[in-house]
Amino acid sequence: MADCEKLLAILEEKFGAKRDLADKWGFTVLVERENLHALMLFLRDDQSAKFDVLLDIVGVDYLGFKDYEGPRFAVEYVLKTMKAPVRRMRVKVLVSETDCKVPSIADLYAIANWQEREVFDQYGVVFEGHPDLRRLLNHAEFEGHPLRKDYPAHKRQWLSTNDYLLPELEARLESKGYKIVARSKEVMPNDDEYLEGSRKV
Amino acid sequence: MTALAEKANIITSSLDFIVNWGRKNSLWPFPYGTACCAIEFMSTETARYDLSRIGSEYVRFTPRQSDVLLVAGTITYKQAPILKRIYEQMAEPRWVIAMGACASSGGFYDAYCTVPGIDHIIPVDVYIGGCPPRPESFFDAMFQLQEKIQDESYMKARAERVKEQLEMIKAKTAECKENAEKAVKNAVSCGVQTIKEGKDNLMKKVAFWKE
Repeated sequence: MADCEKLLAILEEKFGAKRDLADKWGFTVLVERENLHALMLFLRDDQSAKFDVLLDIVGVDYLGFKDYEGPRFAVEYVLKTMKAPVRRMRVKVLVSETDCKVPSIADLYAIANWQEREVFDQYGVVFEGHPDLRRLLNHAEFEGHPLRKDYPAHKRQWLSTNDYLLPELEARLESKGYKIVARSKEVMPNDDEYLEGSRKV
Repeated sequence: MTALAEKANIITSSLDFIVNWGRKNSLWPFPYGTACCAIEFMSTETARYDLSRIGSEYVRFTPRQSDVLLVAGTITYKQAPILKRIYEQMAEPRWVIAMGACASSGGFYDAYCTVPGIDHIIPVDVYIGGCPPRPESFFDAMFQLQEKIQDESYMKARAERVKEQLEMIKAKTAECKENAEKAVKNAVSCGVQTIKEGKDNLMKKVAFWKE
């Protein structure tokens, strides 16, 4: 705990971070989104912190939360270090519904790429500077963000065709130095023929 | 004849019986396993339970070669078009078994992403309850499917299938008949005309020679 106090003092001084008192048993700091990127960089690289593992990025929707006042959404970053035993912390950014944007940290942690995509998919929080912000779990034709509290619980959305992942795969192969020499007819299907029977009526 | 009878290689039977007998004892499943039900299916295939005892010897991993589509596991909306496409690729006759609570009804996934039962997408022949069902339940489902197949009629299905063709052939036959009748009538009336003319000529000649 003494560790945390020391770290908190540094974070307060450098990035204007505050301790989140709602988290009674853990160590959570609240930070403004302008300082988030610098703070994460500090936590990753500084000798006193060395949080080198990003465990998770979590979205929170506070709509209808009991006795809560403040911005509707929050994004939490769960951090862990391999250098010291049992040292974990969380960084929390509050985001309002009207300006639902957070700077991306995909350049700091590689895993943040997909985790941010997931939060974007489920909550609609936009991560600025993300290299490829697409839906991760839900299908391409999905509308809305299902983990928001105002998403109707029994709403179902049909997908009319398979998600076609080949262009993405080819782009990835090409980025690794492969070259697409030829495609068979099955790989480049005629849309009408390919989708026959699977289309939404 | 006697030689053939001695070899005893002839049986008489109805076509329906022999076709159904063949079909129900060689049901090759296509395992569409997406969850823990597929694990139970694997143990059904192993020597302890041994699904090959009832002729489901081979598990085919291509829809073109299989008869039974075995949907074992949760189907999400993202998965649904793929399942439908697999079903469409199977050759007839084809049957579907929905294995477990998820495939039958969506199970406890009452959520935005799960299809509430695969019968929203494709027709299902047999449902199996359980989460996951034991291999015995799977056997029971196969027996039920076999009973169902026994009641099917190949000839009736065939009649249904070639109904249009038959009607076309019937119509064509009727048309040909009509044409032939017309031609015959024409020919007969022509013949009658010629005979009449000949008779008239003859009468004229007789009259002439009489004079």
